[in-house]
Amino acid sequence: MIPPDDRGLLVAAAITVAAPLIGSAVTAMGLTRGKPRPFAVAMAFVSLLASLAVTTLWSQTDGAPRLFGDRLGGGRFVCIDGITAVLLPYVALVEMAILLVAPRRALEPSAVARLLFGAAATFALFLTSHPLLLVALWCATALPTWISVRSTPGGYAAARVFAIAMSTAVICMTIGTVLLIIDPPWAAAAGWVGSAGGWLVAIAVMVRKGIFPFHSWYPALFSGATMSTALAATMPQVASYTAVRLLIGHVDHPEGVAAELVVLSQLALVTATYGAALAIVQRDLRSLIGTLAMSQSAMVLAGLAGTLPMELNGAFCVWISSGLALTGIGLVSWALESRAGVIRLDTPQGRFWDAPALAAFFLLFGLAGIGLPGTLSFVADDLIVSGSLDEQLHAGLLVILATVLSGIAMMRGWFHVFGGPVESEGIRHAILPRERLALTILLAVLFLLGLWPDPLVRALDRATGRLLGVSAAGADRDLQDLPQGR
Amino acid sequence: MTNHDIVSLLVTCQLAAPAATVALVGVPALLGRPPSERATSRIVGAGFAIGFIAGLLTLASLVARGFVPEIVHLGSWFSVGHHEATVELVADALSVPYVCFSTGLCGLVNAFARKYLHREPGFTRFFLLLAVFGTGMNLMVLAGSIDVLFAGWELLGISSTLLIGFFLERGNAVRAAMRAFATYRVCDVGLLAAAVMVHRAVGSGDFDRLFGENWPNGTCLVPAATATIVSLLLVFASMGKSAQVPFSGWLPQAMEGPTPSSAIFYGALSIHAGAYVLLRCEALLDQAPLARLLLIAIGLGTALHANVVGRVQTDLKSMLAYAAMTQSGLIFAEIGFGWRVIPLVHVISHAILRSLQILRSPSALHDRHELEAALGGHPGADRWALGRLLPEGLQSRIYRIALDRGFEEMVVGRLFIVPVLWLLECAADLERRWLVFLGGDAGPGGGRS
Repeated sequence: MIPPDDRGLLVAAAITVAAPLIGSAVTAMGLTRGKPRPFAVAMAFVSLLASLAVTTLWSQTDGAPRLFGDRLGGGRFVCIDGITAVLLPYVALVEMAILLVAPRRALEPSAVARLLFGAAATFALFLTSHPLLLVALWCATALPTWISVRSTPGGYAAARVFAIAMSTAVICMTIGTVLLIIDPPWAAAAGWVGSAGGWLVAIAVMVRKGIFPFHSWYPALFSGATMSTALAATMPQVASYTAVRLLIGHVDHPEGVAAELVVLSQLALVTATYGAALAIVQRDLRSLIGTLAMSQSAMVLAGLAGTLPMELNGAFCVWISSGLALTGIGLVSWALESRAGVIRLDTPQGRFWDAPALAAFFLLFGLAGIGLPGTLSFVADDLIVSGSLDEQLHAGLLVILATVLSGIAMMRGWFHVFGGPVESEGIRHAILPRERLALTILLAVLFLLGLWPDPLVRALDRATGRLLGVSAAGADRDLQDLPQGR
Repeated sequence: MTNHDIVSLLVTCQLAAPAATVALVGVPALLGRPPSERATSRIVGAGFAIGFIAGLLTLASLVARGFVPEIVHLGSWFSVGHHEATVELVADALSVPYVCFSTGLCGLVNAFARKYLHREPGFTRFFLLLAVFGTGMNLMVLAGSIDVLFAGWELLGISSTLLIGFFLERGNAVRAAMRAFATYRVCDVGLLAAAVMVHRAVGSGDFDRLFGENWPNGTCLVPAATATIVSLLLVFASMGKSAQVPFSGWLPQAMEGPTPSSAIFYGALSIHAGAYVLLRCEALLDQAPLARLLLIAIGLGTALHANVVGRVQTDLKSMLAYAAMTQSGLIFAEIGFGWRVIPLVHVISHAILRSLQILRSPSALHDRHELEAALGGHPGADRWALGRLLPEGLQSRIYRIALDRGFEEMVVGRLFIVPVLWLLECAADLERRWLVFLGGDAGPGGGRS
């Protein structure tokens, strides 16, 4: 029986998933008369409202996870906790912004149907902790991306790289999850089977998140797919969520798996730094965004694999701030490309006077992604740097280095796209109202959460405290308070 | 209302006034409805005027009460476990005179730039960045905690970079902006790490828990080892913004920006941001003789380098940039010697003189002609009297070194920038080859619809 207090929560969660699913089905059946954007945006908006309802209802609870359905391997069919409540609106916002800004020619009914189906699968994934359901939803989120990349002109090579990576990830994830269910490593009598399962899941997470040495598909996807496909596939970070559910800490089993996390954390730190460094020498805008996304994604995992609430909190903040900022940059780049063609970075391209409004948005999103005071990324950087340095000196230094390098890469990108001599009297490209609306909303959220981060940080503090097996009040948050298993 | 309440309100005004102008000009501009030139300059000017008046009133209040510091606690920004970021401002003998001076100077430059940049396509952008700079400066100067100081410091760096690259169509401006930003970013590591160290040492970033609140007679409240590490990190951070050797190469290039911004950034305020931070943390430096020795060495080395190199510059703005660098080096050395008031006076007097010189620099030829007309001929050659005492061979060598800007660019480039970029290019090339191998043809690269 579902307690009466939780019914509203469950209904809101169901609407969050159902709206894009219905939208996908309706679009796929051709009922939108060749103009799928208004209906798709409406469905995304309903999903966003429902996800905000989940967040609101969740904030009124005592903070304990709400679990529904069968229990298997430490997870339930539906699991709504602080992490879900924070991440659902984020994913919904990203999806809606993509649908609003996407150029008309990228919004064929089949592409929209795939996008909405992928969104529904992502929402469902963020609402579960059931291991087998997680595996199924991994496939469900990867498949539309692969089909989209494959059907993109010139995207065959990227589709092949993506297919190699995702099939490896799905195989490792499936076998690893089954082994974890057979022999849970957090149980007292765990053996090598459970340990092998943990390692396989860790490898799957590494591949899906583009962690070195499995990182190549990340920039390839941004170079070879449409921007909507690349952003929808990477910004929600489903692998981070899986790592949270299967590796970092079960709701019912605070210990989790330790050795894999150490390896994941170290490789994630290397990837974050390497990606940021590579971004400095990229020759086109899409590769720049791809490598920066890879770096930021790795930074999230590095923080999630930490042992201090501050690190985890910082990682979730980086997750949201970098996701929103990179979505903004990706959408601005897409809008610019759709007007002016491929943007190279070898030399300054002088696009400022062609599209001053897009230049302003690109700059603000870029700054919001590299720690501009007043934006969420400033708070995120502060938390993740402090947490990492508190835990391990080298980790903190690598995080700082990655932050510095990504900042340089981002500004180089802006100056090389918009700076430089204007070769001829080009057409001045006005920004469309729907583009301005989507970009302004993303930017407003980044600034609002940056100027008033306390509600978000407190919600995350409560969630991370539970994840680490310490109460939020005592998430104090020192190492000695943490369970020995971590 | 108590005196504390009044001072709190005034200090908040000093910060909020320029910050509000950023929103008033920036938001309409972002929504495609930028205010007119007149409205833009008036809004930004009003922000500085309110900040200046509030600063003067705070100063009067402080003087009346014998410079007893006031801590203005605006609340907790966010907190996680033991890590709490508070928004705390301080009104004391250092911050209030400095904020009056900086806001006043910003207001004057605002008035100057209104005509100087009339009908310039980036008019709104300039004033918006000036307002961001003013906000960052006041945030940094009034900061009562290292977190707030870092926020102001970052705003300074970003506005400075964007103003150096203001003329985006000029390749040199873009390169100079990138160079400055990279230098700032590298040196910001010092401040970021110092902030984390302070949090670890005292549990928060508040200065009153680090060295009391009685500038210039603060007492270091942390162990000497911590004070030394934090001081060294602060010195490193300050070297970038204040253009100290070997991080000085960006300063002459930074003159690519509009003259009013060059005046206020590189003649007056931004270049002294490092000195301000060191003055604020002087109690830590007292416990860190190693950092003080380093400051003296860096400061005197920079002063010597900039003085010699500045003498052979063939354009006025570069010459002024090196002159500013010379004074900045001397101020660093003064702080290293443990003086407090002298460097503060030096900063303010130098900033006023240099910004005036830079603002007048576009009229230099006109001034020269007027001078020659008044004298009835060329004025005497400005020779370096001390230099003529040196042997002729040594003079030639020094001249050669000065022409090459002390080989600073070459050394930094060859030892650091070129090898790092080469390594990164190699890595990127390997990545591309690997993708071609995996992708099966020319590699991923389509899909740009």
